Order: sequence, then C-alpha cells, then structure tokens
Amino acid sequence: MELIINLLINGLATGMLIFLLAAGLTLIFGLMDVLNFAHGGLFAWGAFSGVWFYGLTNSFTIAIIGAIVTGIVLGFITEKLIITPVYGNHIQQILITLGFMIVLSEMLKVVFGPNQIAAKTPPLLSGSWELGEVIIIKYRLFIIIVGFVIFGIFQFILKRTKIGLIVRAGVMNKEMVQALGINIKQVFLYVFMVGAALAALGGVLMAPYSGVIYAEMGMEFAILAFIVVVIGGMGSFPGSLLAAILVGLAGSFMAYYVPALSLAVNMMLMAIVLIFRPQGLFTVKG
Amino acid sequence: MKSKFQVNNGVLLVLVAALAVFPFVSDSRTWTILLTQIFIFSILAMSYDILLGYTGIVSFGHAMFFGMGAYTTAIMLNKFEASLGVFFFSIAIGMIIAGIISFLVGLLTLRLKSHFFAMLTLAVSGLFLVLAEKWRTLTHGNDGFTFRAPELFKDRVMFYLLVLICLVLVYFFLRRFVSSPLGRVLIAVRENEQRTKSLGYKTLHYKVIASVVAGIVASLAGSLYAVSLRFVNTSVLTMDITLDALLMTIIGGVGTLIGPIIGAGVIELAQHYLSGLAKEHPIFERWIIFFGIIYILAVIFFPRGIVGTIRYAFWKRKNKDVSVVLNTSKVKEVAK
Repeated sequence: MELIINLLINGLATGMLIFLLAAGLTLIFGLMDVLNFAHGGLFAWGAFSGVWFYGLTNSFTIAIIGAIVTGIVLGFITEKLIITPVYGNHIQQILITLGFMIVLSEMLKVVFGPNQIAAKTPPLLSGSWELGEVIIIKYRLFIIIVGFVIFGIFQFILKRTKIGLIVRAGVMNKEMVQALGINIKQVFLYVFMVGAALAALGGVLMAPYSGVIYAEMGMEFAILAFIVVVIGGMGSFPGSLLAAILVGLAGSFMAYYVPALSLAVNMMLMAIVLIFRPQGLFTVKG
Repeated sequence: MKSKFQVNNGVLLVLVAALAVFPFVSDSRTWTILLTQIFIFSILAMSYDILLGYTGIVSFGHAMFFGMGAYTTAIMLNKFEASLGVFFFSIAIGMIIAGIISFLVGLLTLRLKSHFFAMLTLAVSGLFLVLAEKWRTLTHGNDGFTFRAPELFKDRVMFYLLVLICLVLVYFFLRRFVSSPLGRVLIAVRENEQRTKSLGYKTLHYKVIASVVAGIVASLAGSLYAVSLRFVNTSVLTMDITLDALLMTIIGGVGTLIGPIIGAGVIELAQHYLSGLAKEHPIFERWIIFFGIIYILAVIFFPRGIVGTIRYAFWKRKNKDVSVVLNTSKVKEVAK
C-alpha cells in the first residue's frame, strides 16, 4: 500500500511538471496554431536561470521570480523574432522553432558551461514527513500543490475574466475575434509570453526535483509535453492536466514494475491516441 | 532545355572524375576520411530531401532508418564473417528492413497533419532508440561495439571509391525518381495536396512511396557510415542525425538534389574547421550554434537554400523580359 502511495506521489509530481510545460504549449497551439518545438528550450532556460538566481541570493522565491522573468523575456523574443515571420506556414514553423531549440540549448552551454549543474533543494522544503509506513517527500508535495494552484488560477482567468474570454474565443475562431475589433496579434504575444513563463516555472521547479540540470533536459521534457498535448487534445487546458497526470503516473508505475518499458509506454500511448483519435481525448468545442 | 542538361552532366562527370582520382593524387588521410564522411551524409541528406523538399513533409524520425542500416550491417559483419559478400548482403537486408518499417510507419502516420506527423515520427524514432538501448545482447546498448570491416576496406581509398560510386548511383537514381511521373505527383502534393487529391490522385499512396524510398536510401547511408567507423552505438539513432540531415538540406537547398550534397559538404567542412578553432576561443566548441542561427535565417530569408537561390538568380537574369508576375510556386517549378 505504502509503495503504491509513494509511486502515486512521484507520478503526480512528475505529471505536474509536465503539465506546466504542456499548458503553455497547448494554449499556444490552440490559439495561434503554432506548435512550438522550442518550448523545451524555454523550460531548460527556466531551470538554469532559476538555479543561478538561487545560488546568487539563496532565496527560492527570488529564484522562481527570476526564472519566470527569464521565461517572459525569452517568450517575447521568440514570438517577435521567430514566430511572427513564418506565421501561417506550418512547415516553416516546425523547422524554425526546432532551429531555435538548438540555439537555445547551445546558448545554455555557452552561458552556464557544458557540464551538468547540481541543484539544491531549499531547506524549508527539503526532508520528508513519515506517516506510519508512508514517507512523503516535502518537495514533491510542494510541486503537486503548485501545479494545482496554477491550474486553478488559469482556469479562473480563462473562465471568469474578459481576457480569458478573448483567449477562449480565439481558440475557437480567431478570425471572428479579430473581426469583432480585438487585436488578436497582441493577444498572441501575451499568451506566448505566459506560456513561456509557465515553461520556465516548470524548469525551475524541476531543478531541485531531479537534483541535476543539463541542457538536453529541455528536449527530453518537451517530448513528454508533446505527448501530453496530443493525448489531452490540442488547445484543451483541462485535457492537458489530465493527460499530464496520466503520463506522469504511467511513467512512475512502469519504471517500478516494468522498467524496460518505462520510456516506451508514453510513446506507445501517444501513437495509439494519434492513430485512433487524432483530435485527442478532450476536444475544444467550437 | 536538353543542351542545358548535357552541360550539367558534363560538369558532374568532370567533378566525379576529379573526386575519383583525388585520393591517388593527394595522400592526405584526413581529407580522404573527411570526403568519405561528406559523401555518406550527402546520401542521407538527399534521401531526406525526397521527403522535405519534394513531397513537403517534415519527418523528425529519419535517424531511425539510418540507424537500421548501420545496425544491420554492423551486426551481420560481427556475427558472420567480415567478407565483401556479407557486407553487400547486409546492405540489402538493411534496405529491406528499412523499406518494410517505413512502409508500415508511413501507412499509419502519413494521413496525419504536418504537426502530428512530425511529433509521431519523433516518438517512433524515440522508440527505436529505446529498443536499441535495451536490447543489449544484440546492440550492446549505449556502449556500442566494434567490428571488423571486410579486408578490402582496410584500404581507406577503396572504401572512399565505393562510397563515391554509391553517391553517384543514388544521385542518378533519385534524379530519375523525382523527374518520373511519380515524382511529379510528389511535387504536386507539396504544392497543393488538396488540389492533387481532387485531381484523383490518392496522395497517401504517393506519400508512402516517397517515405519508403527515403527510408531505403537512408539505410544505405547508415550501412556505409557504420563501416566507415567500424563501430556502432546508439548515437546513430539519435535526433542529432536527423538534425544533421535537416541542416544540410535546408542550407544546401530544399527541392534540389545537388543542394543536399553541397549542404553536407559545407556543414562537414565547417564542423571540421570550427571545432579546430576551439583552441582560439571556447565559443567555437559550440559551433552548432552558428548553424542554428544560419539555419533560422535561411528558413526566413533564403527558404530555397544555396542552390535554390543561385538557380533562381540565374533564372531571373535569363527571363528579364518576362513581365508576367509569377507566384513563387511557379518560379520554383521553372527554376528546376
């Protein structure tokens, strides 16, 4: 029983990190019809800048804020320089965002050095609680709470505010939103920056969780996030949460019971979903 | 038009002849090895261009066919004897495996839209990478294994010549392929899939054929690559191989066959020299960053690549008096 609870917590924590990455990806795709292959690079930049800020100030709050600001700035640059010139051309988008991914991860190595960097858990969140046989690692619980809080905040913004209304309407029909006099290009930019900030947040939270950070982690997590976005349905926010939890849990349980299949199971999950239900498990009604 | 092609062939013949006598004139081992590497990656990049440049589909899983060829040849040379017969037989087996896999994968995935196809190919090639890492009894996982190459290829020059012959054969085969009626349909798919469909072509079939041809040729490149190193590990299946093919094709010129060859030359040479410059300034250790930037600029400003841009410039000079404004797709069509 305690084993199952531990695996559950592990899976949920990983799932939440993937969700932070996938949330931005799915919103950007739903709204702008852009699949951002550079999203993993923003995630890795969040992790590295967060660890750097943490080393500088020894405050985890500042590390998180620093990573989010990095994400917003990089998101702004990416949207203006990379996405805008190839807007509407799918093949060029795929090619150019992948190219930017290479540049981002190589820039990481130039700025922070090519080696792995160790990341410490802040003292307040390190350690664990023991409830009988069950050991709950504080930091994992923290990630899970943050994930749900972020989901709550975004769900509130999307459902209850005017900007959320515009974004949801844009996902359904962007031409109509534009025809109603809203500058949809501006909304694209904001959504892109918010998506990048979420990816960077995921990165900085990931750093103490895995203990080490390295430039290639961006692509590794981006692949998981793509899988989540496909399974959850492109553009569906709740779908990406559920799919992320599913992928996280599948990963943690498979890693324990059938380790040989742990990496393959998510890929197979995605392949099955794509072949039989290409629109994803959850679809945005339009 | 006819005379132009003959000149082209003449130029090519002279170039090939020059390359063929090169190792006998110069005895620089480095250059022989470097050129061999360029030829191998030219074959890979050309096969990638069949997908990207001619059919207009972006695959992020091309490394899996390259890896299949590399592993088939390496394993067969290792398990049986290191003879020429086994070598050629292993190339054929690799091609057959790659053909079957690309047929099945293509049939399942090519009906999807470009985004999904790119992601799914990424995932499928990821599966093959995991398979190669876990199936240690056969592949020795990430550590890889060395094997003996056939006696004849102990001489680098012989292997160089073999690879050059392969390159020339593949070039002419692919040129015939893209100018055949079937190849024309592929170009039509690239330009406007919907319209091609409504003209009555089953576009899925044509796309599957393109992916099978590309897979088979990539497998040949993989086989040659494995023998050139006499070593194989899981790096032949990684994303880096696909990225190399992508960079070479984009920088050289999509939708041409000479383009990927030039792209392969540019990138391999630059890689050789830039990593040599690392002693001067550490940023050259990260030489790939320059390619990333050039690649992004190329996608935005020179989507035709080196060869495409030059051809377009020539075409424009020749047709100065053409006052009709043509759209880009027609220009590309004529530029060929």
